[in-house]
Amino acid sequence: MIRMQAMRKVYGSVAAVDGVDFDLDAGEIHALLGENGAGKSTLTKMLSGVVQPSSGTILLDGSPVHFGNPAEAMAAGIAMVYQENSLVPTMTVAQNLFLGEERAFNRLRPLYIAAQQFLQSLNFNVDPWAQVSTLGVAQRQMVEIARAVRKNARVIIFDEPTASLTPEEKHHFFGLVRRLKANRVSIVFISHALEEALDLSDRITVLRDGRLVATGPTATFDRARIVSAMVGREAPLVEATQGLRNPRPPGRRVLSVQNLSMGNIVRNTSFSLYEGQVTGIFGLIGSGRTEMAKIVTGVFKRNTFHGGEVLLDDRPVRYRVPRAAVRDGIVYVTEDRKAEGFFDDMPVSENIGIGYLAAGFGRSRIVRRSDLARIAREWTQKLDVASTSGDARVIELSGGNQQKVVIAKSLVQRPRVVFLDEPTRGVDVGAIAEIHRMIRDLSAAGTTVVVISSYLPEILAISDRILVCRKGRIVEEFPADAADEKTIMYAAVH
Amino acid sequence: MMATRTRSPLSQEMIVAAIAALLFMAFFLTQPVFRTTDNLLSLLQNVSILGILGLGMALSIIGRGIDLSIVTVMAMSSAWVLQLANSGLPLGLALLAGLLLSIAVGLVNGALIAFLEVPAIFATLAVATLNYGVVRTALLDDNLVYLKAEVPGWFHAIGGGALFGIPNPVLLFALVCLLLHLFLRYDIAGRFLYAMGENPAAARITGIANRPLTLLQYAICSVIGFGAGMILASTIGSVETRIARSTMVYDVILVAVIGGIGLSGGKGGVRNVIIGTALIGVLLNGMTILNTPYTVQNIIKSVILMLAIVADSILNPRDEQTSQQGDI
Repeated sequence: MIRMQAMRKVYGSVAAVDGVDFDLDAGEIHALLGENGAGKSTLTKMLSGVVQPSSGTILLDGSPVHFGNPAEAMAAGIAMVYQENSLVPTMTVAQNLFLGEERAFNRLRPLYIAAQQFLQSLNFNVDPWAQVSTLGVAQRQMVEIARAVRKNARVIIFDEPTASLTPEEKHHFFGLVRRLKANRVSIVFISHALEEALDLSDRITVLRDGRLVATGPTATFDRARIVSAMVGREAPLVEATQGLRNPRPPGRRVLSVQNLSMGNIVRNTSFSLYEGQVTGIFGLIGSGRTEMAKIVTGVFKRNTFHGGEVLLDDRPVRYRVPRAAVRDGIVYVTEDRKAEGFFDDMPVSENIGIGYLAAGFGRSRIVRRSDLARIAREWTQKLDVASTSGDARVIELSGGNQQKVVIAKSLVQRPRVVFLDEPTRGVDVGAIAEIHRMIRDLSAAGTTVVVISSYLPEILAISDRILVCRKGRIVEEFPADAADEKTIMYAAVH
Repeated sequence: MMATRTRSPLSQEMIVAAIAALLFMAFFLTQPVFRTTDNLLSLLQNVSILGILGLGMALSIIGRGIDLSIVTVMAMSSAWVLQLANSGLPLGLALLAGLLLSIAVGLVNGALIAFLEVPAIFATLAVATLNYGVVRTALLDDNLVYLKAEVPGWFHAIGGGALFGIPNPVLLFALVCLLLHLFLRYDIAGRFLYAMGENPAAARITGIANRPLTLLQYAICSVIGFGAGMILASTIGSVETRIARSTMVYDVILVAVIGGIGLSGGKGGVRNVIIGTALIGVLLNGMTILNTPYTVQNIIKSVILMLAIVADSILNPRDEQTSQQGDI
């Protein structure tokens, strides 16, 4: 039904998509896989009119089409459901569903009734009167899907639809996708979760570095083949289905959190951190793991601390701003490096230098540039940040190198306790291994390390001790040698 | 250079410097009056006040803010100093009072922005109006304050004197340039200011105390404004407070932005202000010699400001993910 030929999209001097052929049959579920930056999103955005191809043709039912914007693609029946929400948060569900179709005299009552009936016909349990900002991620996604279906989309592109869903919601979602398929709607399914793709799809296409590396019916693929196609070698991303075989014993207790609460996001949780160990905190998105770390390190603003106690070396502390925590040697490395990690337009050396200055080592107010340059050089070498020089601006680096800069900016502060939140999100395979090695070295040097991750193999590969977070609380603790993917996942969802 | 860094080799800074040089050459070759040493010195003297205010404005913009109250601070605190001196207070004490008043206004600005998280553009606009109103009604007798008291000679020398033939206001502009440059490049707070302007959330997580830094930033802005006011008062022997209600603040923004101080924060430095000041100085002086009507001069200035802001948003695109509502 749709045939994309020799698609190419160039950003600056880099080809994000380079000569990819992609086709889609009616009523087919086509999984599009690949690492971050492989070109999946760019390819589908060209189909949905968000991005204009540099070259290549799109054939719809055999005739060439050109979509200058998403509205034109929508008119041709092609809709995209994004990772990030594209709903208006201050409007109700019904208003969002009918957005753009309001008449001059817009009566709301019939709108709500129609929305109610429509949502029920899809078997979606969403209140049409609810304001979108009050909904959870899964429900917002349902509204997005409903909107696409309502506009009689023949093709729906899902960009990482299951990333933020709970297992039960995923189950719902898969049922919906199968029903759409039964109605002859074609689905493009972009995902990181290989099992889902293998389960759900009819056909699989794998991209790597903007090129098509494998395509074919799902029956001809298995996990190993997909992984080797994705990374371009036989070794899988992070090989660990079992925890570390020789976890290190806990050292002295450094930080202890008791009965910490914040609204209904963090509920009365307690845990302790020990010297010389890597503590992995696993939890699904929304389980409150990031929030716990942010409260402890003072990153959350103002009155988010609803009780509980944090003890550093058995001395109660309470940080209202990160500065105080940093000066006590407790640092938080963010999961969202672009928003709150690095200074985009500053060179690598300056980023690391700011971290050093902010730690407040020197008495003097005067900045010695030669010292900062030396420290930055030392750290870029230690973390193997691949930049032509310390002068490259951080925004120009790859995700992996950006992450290393953010980590270096914190480690240069010589912390005693490091919270690494999703340290390998959006990072290429080579950099993942280096960051994991760095975490082990750090821990071996006596630093207390916490790794927060929703990627199980990562947690299993580097933790000496695993904490599982669910609904705002640490619910289980495993020594690494007694843990495997199944037991941890079970604790995280049930 | 760390402070100024742009992608394309043709940065806004270089374009503006080239235009300023071209204009200068054009006036220099075609207008005999422009060529005279007297005129060139008066050109410098006329823009030095604007340049000093531009430095203060640049400081606020680098920290991802803006200070619309700087002209009001200049007028009101210097007018109060003259009034206090007229009423018999020793000049030194009067200056101290003016300085404290300006610092207080800066701290109110900073507190509104840092602690109550009011966008800088609204906070400083409100404070400017309040400052004008309160000082005018409670502290001053008239809109126009003349210096009537006998003051030591050094006070007249601030604005009226010269060293090696160069008017003192020009030298003072150079001094403020030097001090601010040292602060921005070699003082730890200066480096933090760039970090905060570049990405406030990242600066905070890194352990920079954003709030005290914001207070410091607006306090320095106000002190620079006060300094400019005293130079002006010394030069002409009076203060017209209605300048606070004039469009002068737009000229100050013009000087900062046209030289390439990015409105998105964290970009630019003293050099950019000097270049912006040079262009505006040459332009105003040349247009005055050409007898361009005042209204036409305004049109030309506003077109240039608009072009500068457009060029800024093209060269320094605002990042969606880090910009906030209410940002300028």
